[in-house]
Amino acid sequence: MEGEMLKGHLDMIVLAALATGPAHGYAVIEEIKRKSGQAFDLPEGTVYPALHRLEQANLLTSRWVTAESGRQRRVYALTRRGERALAERRAVWEQFSDAIGRLLEGAPQCKKPA
Amino acid sequence: MQETGLISDYLDRLGDALRFDRSLSRGVVWEVEDHLQEAAAADAVGDRREAERCAIARFGDPHAVAAQFASVSLAREANRTGAALILVIAGVFVTMKSRVVWYAVTQWVVCDDMKAVSGIAGLVDRYSFWFSVVVAIGSFAYINSRCVSPILDAGYHRQLRLAFVLSLVATMFLAVSVISDGVLTALHLRSTELHAFALVPIISMAIEAAGVGVLAFQIRSMTRKAVSIAALLKT
Repeated sequence: MEGEMLKGHLDMIVLAALATGPAHGYAVIEEIKRKSGQAFDLPEGTVYPALHRLEQANLLTSRWVTAESGRQRRVYALTRRGERALAERRAVWEQFSDAIGRLLEGAPQCKKPA
Repeated sequence: MQETGLISDYLDRLGDALRFDRSLSRGVVWEVEDHLQEAAAADAVGDRREAERCAIARFGDPHAVAAQFASVSLAREANRTGAALILVIAGVFVTMKSRVVWYAVTQWVVCDDMKAVSGIAGLVDRYSFWFSVVVAIGSFAYINSRCVSPILDAGYHRQLRLAFVLSLVATMFLAVSVISDGVLTALHLRSTELHAFALVPIISMAIEAAGVGVLAFQIRSMTRKAVSIAALLKT
């Protein structure tokens, strides 16, 4: 999928990946890949600034834990505000997606340029 | 598998690119180290060096990653400045009121020939203090009502600049208020013999001045960070 299109929805994608429960950055990225069927292949470094930004906006909270490897690991979780924001964004997205779907209904499919 | 040093080299470069915010840099470097080690370990290639190289390539250029943290860092600094402003103003208010109560309890008044100067200083003090309160509340509300932008574009730059200017104006008016307080305190001290009681207004003035000093330091740190980030974004 187009990188720019993904970046526009990065916050919603990250919030959605954390909807199943707390996770650290690597697990969030893996969850995004898994849930999207590998369709979203983001530059992994873009996810961390998004996590920090969402935490700054109080949509996420984080805590440091020690991983089995002994390394310090930062685990993120959705806050109540984050859950509400995800629900709102999902509703807007569904409306948008329905509208585009209706618009494209019946439109002839174009072949990709060679 | 044995580490090859590629990850630590990458982390050094990332840490260097994030030098505009030391505390953020430390946390991010730990997080990224955990990420890269896990990604390299999960790679089924078998060759550790190749696995580390792929993990780093997927993560992206350290300068580009650091640049994406710029808006987070500046937003955090603006938030911190706004909160410090509110706390210091509250502290100055309590100190100021305590000193007035102290003067009343000890029946400590300004001598008659200094009443006119005291009146002017009192007016300047009152208006500059309340003006700083209004601007600080406006600044704090403004900062907290803005979403942190994913990139430091011109629009977000303007928002941060406005927050910075509001904080600066509030601090300047608070400084004027504290200076006026200092004048009033000096007039009170001049009107009587110096004794142990004089320590109370002197200490309270020192607290107010320290509060303004903290704000000045915070604003300086925000300015330095902004300059440092601007330099990073140019490279």
